[in-house]
Amino acid sequence: MAKKSHRQKTNKSRKKTIGYHLRVYFLSIFAGVAVFIAGNYFFNSQPICANSKTCTTDLSFSIDNDATGIFQGRTIIPPKINLALDNSNLSILGADTPSGEKHIYVDLSNQTIYAFQGKTQIMKTLISSGKWGKTPVGNFNIWTKLRSTRMAGGVGADAYSLPNVPYVMYFFHDFGFHGAYWHNNFGHPMSHGCVNMRIVDARDLFNWADGPSGSQKGTPVSVCNSLTEDGNCVQKNPVN
Amino acid sequence: MTITRTQFEIETVSFIAFAVAVSMFFLWQNNQKYRQFPIVTPVVNMTETAPAQAMVKKVDIASQISSDGEKKVIMKTTNNNTGTLTYVFSTADGSGDNEKEIYTTTLSAEETMSIPFNTWSPDNKYLFIQKGDRGFMVFKDSGEAFSDGQLFLDLTDLFAQRKTGHNLSEATGWGSETLIIINTAGEGEAKGPSYWFEVPSKAIIQLSTEF
Repeated sequence: MAKKSHRQKTNKSRKKTIGYHLRVYFLSIFAGVAVFIAGNYFFNSQPICANSKTCTTDLSFSIDNDATGIFQGRTIIPPKINLALDNSNLSILGADTPSGEKHIYVDLSNQTIYAFQGKTQIMKTLISSGKWGKTPVGNFNIWTKLRSTRMAGGVGADAYSLPNVPYVMYFFHDFGFHGAYWHNNFGHPMSHGCVNMRIVDARDLFNWADGPSGSQKGTPVSVCNSLTEDGNCVQKNPVN
Repeated sequence: MTITRTQFEIETVSFIAFAVAVSMFFLWQNNQKYRQFPIVTPVVNMTETAPAQAMVKKVDIASQISSDGEKKVIMKTTNNNTGTLTYVFSTADGSGDNEKEIYTTTLSAEETMSIPFNTWSPDNKYLFIQKGDRGFMVFKDSGEAFSDGQLFLDLTDLFAQRKTGHNLSEATGWGSETLIIINTAGEGEAKGPSYWFEVPSKAIIQLSTEF
């Protein structure tokens, strides 16, 4: 009798143990799937941004000649933009260069940009890549060109708001090339992820490079960790 | 016989006409040459007694344009042929007009001066030039003296006076309209912290981030 009772107990206990494990098993699967779905939703809903405040709302042409800017906690008066003067003294890089495929390379290791038309180098100058946010490494195409726009982002002391950012060419989300009027520290990282250039250089590149047109993609852009002497673009962990 | 004579006459006239045409061509070309040059051509100066080579001072010109292309700083380097170099710095419009001299100095040939890529402040009111590897001098675009009467601010001296415990290694450029970014080296040339040098107040501010 006592033996039978003990056997029943043991059987009962075994059943409980299997149920317990099954519950834990299914609960784990459920939790894992839930975390995966929620996480996926969370990360996908967060856009990849260079300028956290304007990256989804202000990717458009804008000129505000009366606004002031803020950078590094200091007020800045942006340069006024008069579109009527744009076509005077218009210089186009590579105008005398035999036609060939255009390609822009950014070498993050020496903070230098190179523009090529075919095998002819038509621009080489210093830039400022991401300091407070990384400049994405990879191969892209210019997806839009804006003569001027507003960029804003950052928090606290790092907050910035910059109207009239000139000669903007986005190549990956809101990461792009543009002129920078608020600093002059090219050759050193200084941006939130974009590729800052002197205004004169940004203008020349803007007038030379192509945006998308019909089925044609914009000028190819390769952002490299380093560019070897034989032209090999070294990319570690490219975003695409 | 008549035919032969006619042929002879035709040939003679043709030769004469051809000769006249050739002469006229050379005459025309000669006149063109005279037209290209002024009537009073510059006479080579033969009064120099010293060897011409010794009189020639080679002048090298370098310049750097501002980010917006509105201003330009120009450095003219003259080899004095005495082991010294004279540097003349001037500012001008982006087109090169309205050139104005702001600083002149003569140094031994071992010392060099240069214009950094980031020489201009973003608003083009100030500029800095480099002397040797670690000397930096800040000027007003106008060439006017600063409030204390100094023509330029010697960044290297001012930083040394601050006694931060670090040595100025480079002035990289402008963080804003009035702030020059300074990098330093500590003991054994290890990288030290970065600083801001504010031009109007001459304040030197240590930064939490390195540039």
